[in-house]
Amino acid sequence: MDERRTGWVLIVVLVGQLVYLAVQGAKSGDTRLEAIGLRLLGPMARGVASIPGGLHDAREGVKLRGTLLEENRQLRREVLELRLRLLRLTDVEGEMQRLGNAVRYPTPPAGKVRAVDIVYVDHTSWLRTLILYTGDQEARKDQPVLSPDGLVGRVVAVSGPYAKVQLITDRVASVGGMILRNRRQGVVRGGSLGNDLELDYLPLQADVRPGDRVLTAGIDGVYPRGIPIGTIASVQPGGQLFHRIQIAPAVDFGALDQVYLLDYQTMPETLKEARPGGKP
Amino acid sequence: MESLKLLAGIVLAALFHFAGVWLWPDFARAVDVFLVVVALFGLRGNSLAGLLVGLLVGLLQDTLTSGPFGLFGFADTIIGYVTARLAQRLVIQRPTGVLALVSFASVLQQAIILGLTFLLLPAPAPLNPFWAAVRAGSCGILGMILYIAGGRWRRSSEVRRRGRMSKLRLE
Repeated sequence: MDERRTGWVLIVVLVGQLVYLAVQGAKSGDTRLEAIGLRLLGPMARGVASIPGGLHDAREGVKLRGTLLEENRQLRREVLELRLRLLRLTDVEGEMQRLGNAVRYPTPPAGKVRAVDIVYVDHTSWLRTLILYTGDQEARKDQPVLSPDGLVGRVVAVSGPYAKVQLITDRVASVGGMILRNRRQGVVRGGSLGNDLELDYLPLQADVRPGDRVLTAGIDGVYPRGIPIGTIASVQPGGQLFHRIQIAPAVDFGALDQVYLLDYQTMPETLKEARPGGKP
Repeated sequence: MESLKLLAGIVLAALFHFAGVWLWPDFARAVDVFLVVVALFGLRGNSLAGLLVGLLVGLLQDTLTSGPFGLFGFADTIIGYVTARLAQRLVIQRPTGVLALVSFASVLQQAIILGLTFLLLPAPAPLNPFWAAVRAGSCGILGMILYIAGGRWRRSSEVRRRGRMSKLRLE
């Protein structure tokens, strides 16, 4: 094919891709092409991830043997403390349920968690992402992903046993957040530094202090309320209306090797997209 | 045979990328192995094949990112075409030429993606000049190393082939 025709092919391909990108907008697509890509690359990522994991485990096993007794004692102490705490919390939960029943308040379901392995993590480049191996039980799109420390992100694409996760530190991601101390709500987005977060739309009158804990507000239809997001690192007057707030994430994204998928009933898409005045 | 070589190159690049990310979390920011594959393929001078390979590899790379699907596909299509067109016009014989070409391809790719993210995303992340320079440099060096290794492998296999042919003639 001569160069002129190749030039036309290039233009057609590029225009086609631009249209495809423009149609998607800022959404992370769950496209067929992406599913095929996940199917192809997922097993490779899983294979590579299992090799250093095995080596690391063997090395850690030898290293830990010496400190195993001490760690065992420490863990027993921790288990006792946690049991006591659980007793107290069970009591509080019972009380909460009784009070809720008294005023007929429907408590949202807490949801179940299930551990899944990470086979690929890229939390530093421009578009932060994570690929999970979920085994026989497939993940669901928009399913929240947690770690023991807090919120990690949500599933944006699923292909068989592989699922792609958008991290909360991604610039495109946004989460409904609230400050634990005063229940002030805002929108948490990926920050400009890369591994930080920003809390937007909090008016200047709002009482916000560094050190305040930020949790999910449960207002975005994706994440349930009360999952730790991070701690406020700095508060600056951003403009005439809102604070400029930086949050240090609760999760250390560099140290993730296993995460939890939360089986939580998200809000139906039909309700999310309903517009005032629209047909039911 | 050519498509098998290409497939092997893509698989090896993916494995190298996964191993790199697993060993060093900043690897994906510092090196773009997929871009090196596209640029080296473009060096062969076939612009149509270059743009199609760029499209394919770019879409695979898009699978590993969480932005709109097709960002890298778009950028790598241009990279594949541009490197092939440059290879048609320039005689690249020295490894330093490959270093310069692959580094240029990396800068061009980052500029295209930055432009697209500013057009498409509501709050795009600004480019970090330090990491952009590291990425361009490391891609260039990796491309140069692969070019040298490929040249040596071709020469040694040619020598072996000639040796076998001369033995056959003597017999």
